[in-house]
Order: sequence, then C-alpha cells, then structure tokens
Amino acid sequence: MQERTTLPEEMPAGPPPGATPDKHPMLSRRNTLAALGVSVVGGALAMVSYRDDASAATISTASAEKTAEHAWCMVIDLRACDGCKLCTFACQKRHNLRDEQTWINVYDMKDSSGGTFPMPRPCMMCEDPPCMYVCPVGANLHTDEGLVLVDTEACIGSRACMAACPYEARYFDWSEPLPAKRLPMASTPQMPVAKKGTVGKCVFCADRLPYGELPACVSACSMGALYIGDLVTDVAVNGPGTSVVLSEFLYDNDAVRYKEELGTNPRVYYIAGHGQDLGGGE
Amino acid sequence: MNNVAREALLRPFGRASRPWWLTIVSLSLVVGAGIAAWVVQLRSGMGVAGYNDHAFWAIYIADAITFIGVSYGGAVVSAILRLTGATWRAPLTRLAEGTAVVTVFIGAALIIPHIGNPILLWELVTRPNLSAPVFWDMVAVMTYIFASVVFFALPLLPDMAILGQDHGQRLGRRRATLFARVSRGWVGAPHQKRVLAGALGLVSIMIIPLAVSVHSVLAWSFASTGRPWWHESIWAPQFVVAALYSGVALVILVVAGFRRGYHLEGLITERHFVRLGFIMATFAAAYLYFTFADILPGAYVGEPGTAAVFTDLLVGRLAPWFWMFAVVGGLLPLLLVALPWTRNVRGMVIASSLVLPMMWLKRVLLVVGPATYDTVLGTFGTFRFTWVSIAITLAATAAVPLLLMLLFRVVPILSIEEIEEASTGHTPTEPNRPAGREPSPVGATGTSHRVAGTIGVLLLVGLMGVLGVGAAGPAQAATPQSASVSSSLSSATGEPTITIEGVEGGGKVQLTATLTVANGQPQADAPVEFSFTTTEFGEPARLVPLGTVTTDTSGVAKLILGGGADRMYLPTTVGPQEFVATFTPTTADAKPISSSTTVNITVARSAYTPAPPKPLASLGKGLVVALFAIVAAVWLTLITQIWRVRRVRLATPEPTTNTA
Repeated sequence: MQERTTLPEEMPAGPPPGATPDKHPMLSRRNTLAALGVSVVGGALAMVSYRDDASAATISTASAEKTAEHAWCMVIDLRACDGCKLCTFACQKRHNLRDEQTWINVYDMKDSSGGTFPMPRPCMMCEDPPCMYVCPVGANLHTDEGLVLVDTEACIGSRACMAACPYEARYFDWSEPLPAKRLPMASTPQMPVAKKGTVGKCVFCADRLPYGELPACVSACSMGALYIGDLVTDVAVNGPGTSVVLSEFLYDNDAVRYKEELGTNPRVYYIAGHGQDLGGGE
Repeated sequence: MNNVAREALLRPFGRASRPWWLTIVSLSLVVGAGIAAWVVQLRSGMGVAGYNDHAFWAIYIADAITFIGVSYGGAVVSAILRLTGATWRAPLTRLAEGTAVVTVFIGAALIIPHIGNPILLWELVTRPNLSAPVFWDMVAVMTYIFASVVFFALPLLPDMAILGQDHGQRLGRRRATLFARVSRGWVGAPHQKRVLAGALGLVSIMIIPLAVSVHSVLAWSFASTGRPWWHESIWAPQFVVAALYSGVALVILVVAGFRRGYHLEGLITERHFVRLGFIMATFAAAYLYFTFADILPGAYVGEPGTAAVFTDLLVGRLAPWFWMFAVVGGLLPLLLVALPWTRNVRGMVIASSLVLPMMWLKRVLLVVGPATYDTVLGTFGTFRFTWVSIAITLAATAAVPLLLMLLFRVVPILSIEEIEEASTGHTPTEPNRPAGREPSPVGATGTSHRVAGTIGVLLLVGLMGVLGVGAAGPAQAATPQSASVSSSLSSATGEPTITIEGVEGGGKVQLTATLTVANGQPQADAPVEFSFTTTEFGEPARLVPLGTVTTDTSGVAKLILGGGADRMYLPTTVGPQEFVATFTPTTADAKPISSSTTVNITVARSAYTPAPPKPLASLGKGLVVALFAIVAAVWLTLITQIWRVRRVRLATPEPTTNTA
C-alpha cells in the first residue's frame, strides 16, 4: 500500500516509483486545511473589526466633533514661567510620587544666546500617541476627550511606550512605590495608584476635570503660566483665574506645539518667550 | 566510518563521567544563582538591575537579542547547507539544530526579567494590541520556536529507530523505551523516507524566512520608535546579519566543546571548522559593512539627536567599547580566518570566543546608547551593571551548555542516518531509494507532536480569545449652564448704567452694549469689555473675555462673533449662553458695572478640528489580516508535516527487506 499525501511543493524531485496517489485523502485534507485557514483568517478579521470598535471611541475619528463634549488641552505661557517648579511639587504631592518622578517636569532648555529658560513639560496628550500604538497589551487608553491614560492594572511593564514617547513624559516604578499618604482607593486610569513594575505619566488630573476643578499643576502655578483648556468649548483658564478664549489666545500669541514635525499632534501649546519682551503681541 | 560514527554516537549514552557531572553541577549553580537574582529583582523591582527612567531598556533586551540571535546559526546554517546539499554538514547538523532549539528557548525566556510585571505576561495572548511590534515579536518568536523544534525533532526518528534496533542493549532501559516508542513503526521503508524527506525539505525552506522574520520584528520594535539611531531602515537586515554571524560562532564553539568532550575527532575534523570559519568570516565582513552603512548617513547629516548618539558612540562615553567591538569582534575574527596559520581548529575556536561576547557588547551598545538619550534635553542617562543583571546574564549563558549536555544525554548527538548516507553516497539499508535531492529520511517524534500541538492550540486559542482595549472615558463634566451673574446695574442716579443685548442670526452673534451716565446721557469713547460665562472650570461661573470695544457717540458698543474680520469666537454649544458687558470707570473709587443677557444659541460650532488621520493608517488593517493569514498558514503547514510523518510511521509498512 502506497500512502502518499504530497502537496506539489513537497514532492521529491524525480517521479515516485509505482503507485498512483490516492486522490481522495488529498482532496479531503485540502478541504480541511482550507476550512481551517478560512476560520483562522475569519477570526483575525473579527478581531480586527472588534479592535476597530474599541478605537472608534477615540477622538481620532471624524465623528468625534459631534460626540466629544470636551477636548482637553494645556497652554503653557513660557513668558510667565519662572521655573519655580511649584507645578512639579504639587503634582508629586497629589500623586504620591518620588522626587525623581516628574509627571510635569520643568526643563532648563538652552536658548540661542547660551542661556537657559524653564520649560514645563506635562504629558502632551497627543492625538496620535506613539506610546499607545506600541503597547503590546493595549494598556493605554485614549478617551473620547483626548486624554491618553495608562491602565496600570493591565500594564505588563514592557516600557515600549517609554521608548516611543518623543517627550520623555513616561516614568516607571523601578521599585516599590512610596507608601500611600491618602485613604486607600481603587486605582483608575484617571487617578492611578503607583504599582511596582508599571508605567506612569501625567493624566491632566483626569479625575478632577469632570468636576470643574483645575489640575494640581495648573492651580499651583502662581505665575499663571499654565492653562488648562478645552478645544471644543474654546476656553482656557489658569491658576490665578484668568480665562481666555482659547483659539484667540493661541492665535494672538503665535502658540506652537513641541516637536510638531513628528506628527503626534500634541495637545499642549507653548507660547514662546522667556520673560523677555519679544516686541510682539500687545 | 559507520562503525566509528556509531561508536561515537553511543558514547554519550554510556555511564556519565566525572568531568561531565562536575560540569553539570557547576553550570547548574550558575543558573541557580541567576534564578535567585531574578527572585531578588521580582521582590524589589527592576531598579536593582541598574535600570532607571533614563535607561529603560538595557541588558535584558540585549541578552534576548543575543540568545535568539545565536539560534540562527543552528537553524539557518543547517537549513541552508541541507538545501544546498552540502554533505560535509552531516556530523554537525544535530549539534547545530540542538543549539538552535536551546538558545531560542533561553532567548525567549529572557523576555521575562525584561518585563516589569511578568505576572501579566499572558495578556500578550488575551488582549494583544495588534499595532504593537512587541506583540508581533511574540508571534514571530513562537512560530520560530515551533519550527525549530520540528526541524530538530523530525530527523531524530530514523536515528532513534536505527539505534533502538541495532544497539538497544547499549542504550539503557529508559532511553531504549523512549527510542522504541518514538520510532515505533519506523522501518525505513521507501515511502516513509520519501514522505520524511519531503517534510524536512519543506521545513528547511520555511525556517529561513521564519528566522529572518524573528530578528526583523525584534529590530522593528526598536526601529518603529522615533529614537535616534533606533529609527533606521537598515536595522532589520542588520539584526539578521548579526544573528547569523554570532550564530555560526556559537555553532563552532558548541561543536568544538562536544567534539572534545565526547572525542568525536574522527568524525568532526579541522575541515569542518575551517568551512564554518569561512561562513563566519563572510558574515563578519557583511556585519562590518552593515555597521558602517548604519552609522554613516546619520553621522554625515548630523541631526541633533542622531549626532549626539553617534558622538557618544564613536568618540564619547561608549567609544572604547564600540571600537573594541569593531576590532576584537569584527576585524580580528576576520583576520584569524584569513591568515593560513591560524586557520585551524584552535584559531576558529578563538575567533568564535571573541565574536560571541563582542556581539553581545554590540547589542548592549545599540540598546543602551539611544535608550539613555534624553530626547528633550539631549543629555545622556546612565545604566549601571549590577550583580543582579550580570547574574541573570551569566545564568542564561551557562544554561546553553547545561541544556545541551542534558539534551544530548537523551537524544543522539549525531545524525547517524545523515553520516552514513554522506559517507556511502546512499543509504546502506535501502539501495532502491529514489533519487531525491534529500539524502536524509527523517521522522517526527510523538513527543514533539504533542508538544507542538499543545503550543499550537494555546496560540490559536489565545488569538481567538482576544479582548479589545476598552475606551474607558472618564465621567462627563456637567454641561455648562448659564449661571446667574449679578447684573450690577445700579439704579442710583448719577451712576453709569450699562445694558447688553444679544442677537443670533446668520451663523453669527451680535452683541450690543449701551452705556449711559447720569441722566441717561450716552457715554461715548468708553471701553466696554464683552465676555461670556462658563462653569466648565467650576463654580462660580467664570467670565471669559471676548474683547473690548469703544462706545460710539450714542454710547453703543457692538461686537460680532463669527470669525473672519469679526472675533474668532463663536458659541460652541446649542442652548442658552450668557454674555456679559462690563464697563470699568476710570475714576479711582468707581466699581465696574456690568450687565448680562442670555442668548439662545441655535447654531453652534466647535472650535476644534481633529487632526486628519495619517495617510497610511488604513493600510495597517490589511497588513494585520495578511500577517495573521501568513502565520496561520505557517502553523498549519508545520502541523501538517508532523501529521504526515506520524501517519506514515504508524501505517503498516509494505514488506521490505530493509534491516534498519
């Protein structure tokens, strides 16, 4: 009995000696394989479309204009920032961070004349967040209000997001986090509780925004350099209480976004200058 | 020749020697120390391994690249030599393929210490992010592991049959039982050999693109971030060449080690080492070329980030290490192969022992350099080697010889079938073998079938059971309501008064404020500030200034909201919207007066336009479907090969006179 079950590409060179291949098992196996293949590809398709549903809730779709009530953003007026780091300290206190963990970090940036100027850097809340695309388990979420948040309960700590973030906005709990100074509470993406081996980053105080409260850094900034804004309602406010029409404020002051050329569409706007009179504006 | 081979083959199955035990024990101690270090790291966090926010990827991912890389030598070299019909490979294939299997498992396991929260590693299967390179890394590595195991296991079948039938009494009871069970039904009949040769030929062809895919995807998990030097198109092919280079070096070392330990000098001669050395030299030259091509364009153009990283690498902090790699790990091995008086076993072994640590060093450099670069400040952080990370790395290194020594206590160290065919030109037991291109009939083991089946089922179940990422939106803020702002319209005579009216029409809102002083006289040339109110940022309502307009002679100030020449702002929500006009008298003690009106907005416009989707974003979905289809086809084909071989093994053989 010659039992042969060869596909053409598996056929040995040279004709098989004797024995005509029995066609039926081959056909039936092909059918089985085809059915299996179709089901696997079908499953993949279903999975892809399921992911589509998940991502349809994000701001990146065209219909977001109608559905999203808010599109949070931040405006940082570098003319007013004096580099006091009150924003950093307020954030670290609120989120129980170590000294070296800075969700909003005030960098000493070099200017063209050799001096430095302070530049606060929160999470940029990119509309095309590179960190989100590279997370192997999808532990980042992009809310319909444009906030990029980390689900520390799902984070496996691959740190791919830290590699992808062009703004160095992400931090990792390399050791046991500081003991909580507040009542124990459930960790949510909006108000994450630090967990060893996971990533953390600025959340724009997403737990405060729905209640009309300002993020810790914004309310701590006595210089009024930090504004929390809403692109949909076109309003931005700072800690001392100045309210502005966002679009006009950005337009009049020639606001720019950091590393605009990377195509991440960050939601943090900077107004250039560091205290000096640039001769523009008013 | 055959007797020499069989004697050599049976040698590892004899009573274990004292040096063998000593080696096993000392290697186990090193591995145990590494596991202890990993436990320490689990308890106190990855900080003890020298990691910090400015060195977030470092030694473990470099280790994983190195170990997965060296598995290439076995798989690809063996497959290429098999496909090109190079018969000299015969005594090396089993060692090479075993090395491939062992190192790829160790490399995959090194992902575990690399991960901060390894207890959730199963989420890679249950909730993968299909756009993440790391997820596809896992798919590629799993597929490659499966193919490597199949490629290793299939040729075992005829060897186990030969040994079990001819030398059963010298195998020991357990091995004899195992061999008999695995090779049950295998008689080396022509149709059996034909099917196995076909299966093995197909797997050899498949394993080459699979191996290429593994290191490509590994490279892309770096290259698909925007970091300087990582974000290079040459990275995937460069990784592949690096893997081939270090893989051949490891094969040379493994072959040399077992040749010495089991006295295989009669079968594995200097000729083999020199030929492997030539292959290694080819890859050395290719890798040096790729390294140069990788660095030149970035260093030439000198964009700030790339320039900083390359300065650090070529003349800065990492320079001594980089040039050490280039000389010791690239030029020196090339020289050792090139010079006739070092082109011998000793020379090749020295060259390989230089290549392996230097290639590890290169991986550390290319991970640590960009990972420590601060893309905002342009400064560099520091990664510190600690005893934890070194212990884990050493444990992985010690695990290679340890697992190989244990493996070759169980399975034959040489492919007796291939050796006998290579030495005689055709199978002694089967003169009528069809003139196939494959000299080696092979078979699958029942064990490998079951293992592979389990892995396959796990992966498929995982792929099907994918959970999506829920878009967890925070609770919505209350919609802005019109708050009652006190209309501080003073009724006292002599005080100025202000009134405001608002009309919506034609997509615009016109606000008109009338300012009067005492006696109802209109106040001209006075600045009136218009605002709207919002409670979005808390109670009480905030006044958001829209602009200041000077009143005309009739005391009227008009402001039109609607873009263009008018103010840019337009109400953003439908419904009542409160507007306020405020006048601040110039006299010192006077208080600002204001008036408010509520306009029912019917046409609203969000000030916000989302960014357009990326031009190629839509292609991603098609790519995902195509990739899944390819992966499924690969797994199905591999499973089919096992199934074919198993069926032909269990089938009643036609009566032949073969003796094997």
